[in-house]
Amino acid sequence: MVSWRKIINTISLGAFGDGCHEKVKLTDRDGLRKIGIVGNPNVGKSVIFNNLTGAHVTVSNYPGTTVDVARGKAKIEGSEFEVVDTPGMYSFLPITEEERVARLLLLTEEPEVILHVVDTRNLERMLPLTLQLIEAGLPVILNLNMMDETESAGVTVDIDKLETELTVPIVPTVATSGRGMDALRKRIIEYARN
Amino acid sequence: MPEIKSLQTDYDGPIESALSSISKLLRGHYGISKRMVALLLLQEDAEIERQVKEQEDENYKSIQNILPEVKSNYGHPLSYIIAMTRQQKVNNVLDSVIATRDKSDKGFAELLSRAMMNPLSGIIILFGVLYFGLYQFVGVFGAGTLVDFIESIVFGEWINPWVSGIANTIIPFQILRDLFVGEYGLVTLGLSYAIAIILPIVGTFFIIFSIIEDSGYLPRLAMLIDRIFKAIGLSGRAVIPMVLGFGCDTMATIVTRTQETRRERIITTLLLALAIPCSAQLGVILAILSGDGWSLSIWVGVITLVFLLVGFVASKAIPGRGPSFYMEVPPLRLPKLSNVLTKTYSRLQWYFFEVLPFFLYASVFLWLGDLTGVLDIITSWLEPVVVLIGLPPEASIAFLYGFFRRDFGAAGLYDLNTAGALVGVPLVVAAVTITLFIPCIAQFGVMLKERGIKTAIAITLFVFPFAFAVGYLVNLILTTLGVAL
Repeated sequence: MVSWRKIINTISLGAFGDGCHEKVKLTDRDGLRKIGIVGNPNVGKSVIFNNLTGAHVTVSNYPGTTVDVARGKAKIEGSEFEVVDTPGMYSFLPITEEERVARLLLLTEEPEVILHVVDTRNLERMLPLTLQLIEAGLPVILNLNMMDETESAGVTVDIDKLETELTVPIVPTVATSGRGMDALRKRIIEYARN
Repeated sequence: MPEIKSLQTDYDGPIESALSSISKLLRGHYGISKRMVALLLLQEDAEIERQVKEQEDENYKSIQNILPEVKSNYGHPLSYIIAMTRQQKVNNVLDSVIATRDKSDKGFAELLSRAMMNPLSGIIILFGVLYFGLYQFVGVFGAGTLVDFIESIVFGEWINPWVSGIANTIIPFQILRDLFVGEYGLVTLGLSYAIAIILPIVGTFFIIFSIIEDSGYLPRLAMLIDRIFKAIGLSGRAVIPMVLGFGCDTMATIVTRTQETRRERIITTLLLALAIPCSAQLGVILAILSGDGWSLSIWVGVITLVFLLVGFVASKAIPGRGPSFYMEVPPLRLPKLSNVLTKTYSRLQWYFFEVLPFFLYASVFLWLGDLTGVLDIITSWLEPVVVLIGLPPEASIAFLYGFFRRDFGAAGLYDLNTAGALVGVPLVVAAVTITLFIPCIAQFGVMLKERGIKTAIAITLFVFPFAFAVGYLVNLILTTLGVAL
């Protein structure tokens, strides 16, 4: 629902803007610590966002549903965070407008934790972005989402080993059913404390 | 947590040495590691280049000099070399991490998925989806059965007489009574158009659209249509804004952001403004034309032709290269009822939030116009144009409605049609013209914002006379051929 409201705002407030999104305003709200959600299109970022914040961002089965940045609040073990859901990005080197918006957000807002959500079935296409986030020195947690579909496709992932190889925390989830969300929250708060 | 040295991807010699010399020269604050800034500079990232130029006044020159040196070592762009190295690294890591049980039997979903993207079976499936989803469910059920019930029973027999009764007893002045229950009354026109005609149509469309989008059909449709779209300067990526446009062109114009090039975004915006009817408009038009197969076919044919022709000409006229196309194809999934209902609900809520005030303003505006005689003047300007394309003069009022909202205009036609004032060839001509006719106010606002004032005005100035020209041509051809519908 958030994104629909956003669209109305876009229509009513920005109708006479200059047609340029480079100036997307990314304001600090309440100075809360931030969790940024990034990843390829259609890997479940918005579902993770909804789970963390209790909001209802529209979720669809096609890439590119989130064209704007959605924001919400999450309370994890008593600490409040601002959660920021970004449009999909394939690479840290942007090609489309939405990728530019997503990266600009990482550059300007400097979130405390960056949650990279991936479709576990296609790790070989997803991990290049993880490597780039690590290379950029950003605080990444890798979220292996869609574990159920991965398992039923007959793919098994050695998570401990991947964690040592990549040197970042990894959490497997099935966002649509909520599986692994508690573990994810725990890792986020651990990471934010360090 | 123990300090772990974080993972680093090692690139080819010349790239590595360039990275370290650039990193040493960087002084500014970028929010990311210097190594990454250097990597992005090597890949000619415009945004980062701008930032570096701003922050590194004296060192910028030296940094700039490094780039051509590194480039000269390779036959491919550096972004390609860097991406390949990274992919190699990922593959090495994954080798020892992932195990796949061989599952050659992919089952029904895989079979269906292929059938959807195959040119032959894909077209058959597409027609099936259009026929059952759009025509039967939205057109016949939503715009026919539901609209009939709500309009003639709920409003016609219950609400309108009841409200008129109240108005007659408590409002002493005829003029003020008309504001609520007259020809252009808030209740009898504004509210009843919005709820009796638009709501059932948009509601049924959003249900179908939510089911289709959750099933994963749209990306497959994109793959199927990619080749046709290439001819009009678009890629399969344009399918999503286009299909969404059948729901609401305003939203769809916002979604053009997912497209790669400015050229593609302009062509899509133009086609959305011109040839993609939104759900409310589509439903009403399906409803008034569905009585006659020929009328409907002519309308579909003309709109499709205009879509392809204008797209083709625009892709020749607007400079820039054709897009490349790459899209994730998600698995086919059975849509979840709860998600479909939530989405339909939130879309309807959004739609109504936007639409209802417009209808009410329009009612007041028309009532005022009627009262002051302005309405007659504007209608008299439109009349010659409307008559020129072979329509009865009364139809000009529907076009006036169309200025406010596309669907409002179509709803005006619906009224004329049920009153028997608009049938046969003129009905088809009117439907064609009002479909192509100017985008609604909200869509125009979004066009201004997304494409800039020049492009938005250029598109509108093109669409407006073009719609009437096509209407004129269709009328001319049909009457010359002596077609009786």
